[in-house]
Amino acid sequence: MRVLPSAGRRRMTRRVTWLSVGSLGAITVFAVIAPLLAPYDATLPIGIPLAAPFGDTGLFGTDQVGRDILSRVLEGMSASWLASAGLVLPIASFGSLVGVVAGYLGGWADRALMAVVDFFLALPAAILAVVIAAVLGPSLRNALIAIGVLSWPYYARLVRAEIRAIASRPHIEAAKLAGNGHLRLVLRHLLPGAWPVILVTVTLDLGGVITMLAGLSFLGLGRPEPAPELGSMAAQGLPYLLTHWWIPVIPAVAVTCLALIANLAGDALRSQMKAQ
Amino acid sequence: MSTDELTSDPGPIASVRDLVVTFHRDGADLYALRGVSLDVRAGEVLAVVGESGSGKSVLGSALIGLLPSNLRELGGEVIVDGADMLRGPERVRRRVRRLSLGAVFQDPMSSLNPTQRIGRQLFEVTGSDDESVRLLDAVGVPDARRRLRSYPHELSGGLRQRVMIALATAGDVKLLIADEPTTALDVSVQAQILELFRELCDRLGLAVFFVTHDLGVASELADRIVVMYGGRVAEVGTSRDVLVNPSHPYTRALQRARLTLETDRAREVVALPGEPPDPSTVIRGCPFGPRCGHHAPACDDGLPDLRPSATTGARTACVRADELSAIPTGSLQGDTLAPMPGLPGRAPVVEVRQARKSYVLGRGRQAATVHALDGVDLSVGANESLSIVGLSGCGKSTLLRAIAGLLPLDSGTIAYNGESRPQIVFQDAGASLTPWLTLGELIGERLRGSGLSKRARAEAVAETMRRVGLSPKLASAKPGQLSGGQRQRAAIARAVVVPPSLLLCDEPTSALDVSLAATALNMLAELRRELGMAMLFVTHDLAAARLVGDRIVVMENGRIVESGPTDEVVARPRHDLTRQLLAAVPGSPSHRGVA
Repeated sequence: MRVLPSAGRRRMTRRVTWLSVGSLGAITVFAVIAPLLAPYDATLPIGIPLAAPFGDTGLFGTDQVGRDILSRVLEGMSASWLASAGLVLPIASFGSLVGVVAGYLGGWADRALMAVVDFFLALPAAILAVVIAAVLGPSLRNALIAIGVLSWPYYARLVRAEIRAIASRPHIEAAKLAGNGHLRLVLRHLLPGAWPVILVTVTLDLGGVITMLAGLSFLGLGRPEPAPELGSMAAQGLPYLLTHWWIPVIPAVAVTCLALIANLAGDALRSQMKAQ
Repeated sequence: MSTDELTSDPGPIASVRDLVVTFHRDGADLYALRGVSLDVRAGEVLAVVGESGSGKSVLGSALIGLLPSNLRELGGEVIVDGADMLRGPERVRRRVRRLSLGAVFQDPMSSLNPTQRIGRQLFEVTGSDDESVRLLDAVGVPDARRRLRSYPHELSGGLRQRVMIALATAGDVKLLIADEPTTALDVSVQAQILELFRELCDRLGLAVFFVTHDLGVASELADRIVVMYGGRVAEVGTSRDVLVNPSHPYTRALQRARLTLETDRAREVVALPGEPPDPSTVIRGCPFGPRCGHHAPACDDGLPDLRPSATTGARTACVRADELSAIPTGSLQGDTLAPMPGLPGRAPVVEVRQARKSYVLGRGRQAATVHALDGVDLSVGANESLSIVGLSGCGKSTLLRAIAGLLPLDSGTIAYNGESRPQIVFQDAGASLTPWLTLGELIGERLRGSGLSKRARAEAVAETMRRVGLSPKLASAKPGQLSGGQRQRAAIARAVVVPPSLLLCDEPTSALDVSLAATALNMLAELRRELGMAMLFVTHDLAAARLVGDRIVVMENGRIVESGPTDEVVARPRHDLTRQLLAAVPGSPSHRGVA
């Protein structure tokens, strides 16, 4: 049985973790500045349609209308990353807040909040989506509202369980004796213990939401043409798959990369937390 | 017994030769055993005594042939009943385990299957209910036939351990391996279980390999004692030799640090300086060298081997043992403690009146009300030290938490006339520190709102850390980076950084090794005198209670059953429980042990 020298192995797992977490941060920065990096306007044709990649017209060539694929992909990645983060973070924050309050207070407050959570968990997703569509009208924004309403309870459950486990540890009694108020007790002695779980879940959710949004956009539920959306770009380019493969494949690869990085980062974080 | 050995030596049932075990965990090599040789003879109780990390439990696992798989190095030989338990074929090792070995561990609840009735679990090894009943009878389980239908959770801790022993002694077992089997039990139950081991050994001719951290427990039943230190055997000999005339400086230090009913209350306990060696460090000289008061250059020339003692029949791994044997064990005495001035004119620090607190356990038809506090009256004078003694579940910890204001009472009053809120030193000091905060943050927390500047607070933290013997450099360390002794010090520092008028101690030493426990008791006594604190000391150990307390209060089932000045309670106990607790202290007149 040959194993890697221990110190080296440890250093390597740590490196993988920082690599993945670092790439999450890098992608977010990239998403913010991507539109500035785009060489051309993503909505206007720049030359002949169907130009091949690495040729004279655009780095990744042009699409069926003659727009620069590189610029469209950059802006599309930026949009889907920011949209997923913009969807997951409020959901995670709200759910975690409910979980912390329920887990810390316990007693009837806990039972009441968890009853609400159970109510939302019991709602059938498909029917809720139909109801929201019926009331607010069918649109992407309303679909996202439906997703938000359905997913915060998972965070609430998760965080409540974590907080309750930490709250039963002796260090909480000691912290109370040290004269900490409720807010300080929660922020310094309880919440940091639940951070790992929240962080891992958020990261993994990011990957899921990216593919889901791309799927919705693929089905025509995203922003309308000519807005650069990775899902709709792939859908519009699909008829050219056999003749001009780069038009649908490049945006699809971009989606896969984003989701893959988020999932890898989540997994790496999780194994790092487990090791501690 | 030594004459027995001369006339008919039955030969060892198990023998260990030059056993070296190195584990690999979290990127570090842990040297669990650094070359150990010993024999277990048929019909003897061999007690293996050592602090945590000394390798005593690993030795037990090696005898069973069940070492963890994260081995880095494995050397030497372990033979049990003629079979090689380290490298022999798994089939042979399994046969030895099934036929010749029995094992009993600290927590019977996790060794028994919680989903099966006792009878079913016994049936697996006995093959008949009649045999199961006979076994249960033999280990003193009353009403054995009816007990076969019980689940493990329906039995008390003591009964569960008896069932485990019955399971372990089924068939033609020759060697019983017991790893801290009484540590989780109450002192009075502990004495009965120890008696059972002794009896089984005498009646069935079993060899018992008994692992314990407590020299007192070993003294109660062992024929021979092996003292382990830093993965090596420090001393091995008959109980009398090791306990009465210890020849290794470590054994001597352990003996001195042991609390008895004769320990001088006006002096500090003679504690061992320093801490046990870190298992991840390579040791080149005597493992005990850095803590030894008789350390000489010759001690650093390689790991010392066992050699026969000049004065007793024991063998000792100390190159200076012969020179040292001239120095009597009792010649060292601790420093005299300054007398604690009583403050008779002052009002009591805390007065508890008719405190009641009950819990409802279980649900529905099985719900039962437990009266944790059932009308407790108690007061602690300014500067006074009061010990509360009782078995687990007697309400002593509930009382402590109520006084600290962590638990509301059902009825009754607690009047606290102190300056700063009472602080608790918890049983598990490590767990009472928030793992993601630094020591500086944790200790400094109670200084917030004191009006001190940030710099003045940091200075106060450093001052307190020095006071408890921690380097102020550790202020930026997190609890996980510290040793057990350091965590204990940090927890105490946090409690006294703003000295409370009343310091509450919840069994602060019961989770610590002997040498660390003595250090902690000395530190508490010293801090109490320097800072002028009253103290409430909760324990199940009457020897510790006697040492710490000016008065002793004995609790049972949420009530105070006896109270009085310490000397009075120890000399003339009136309640049965007090007498039981006294008898549980090694070396007490009613005690059966060797020393």
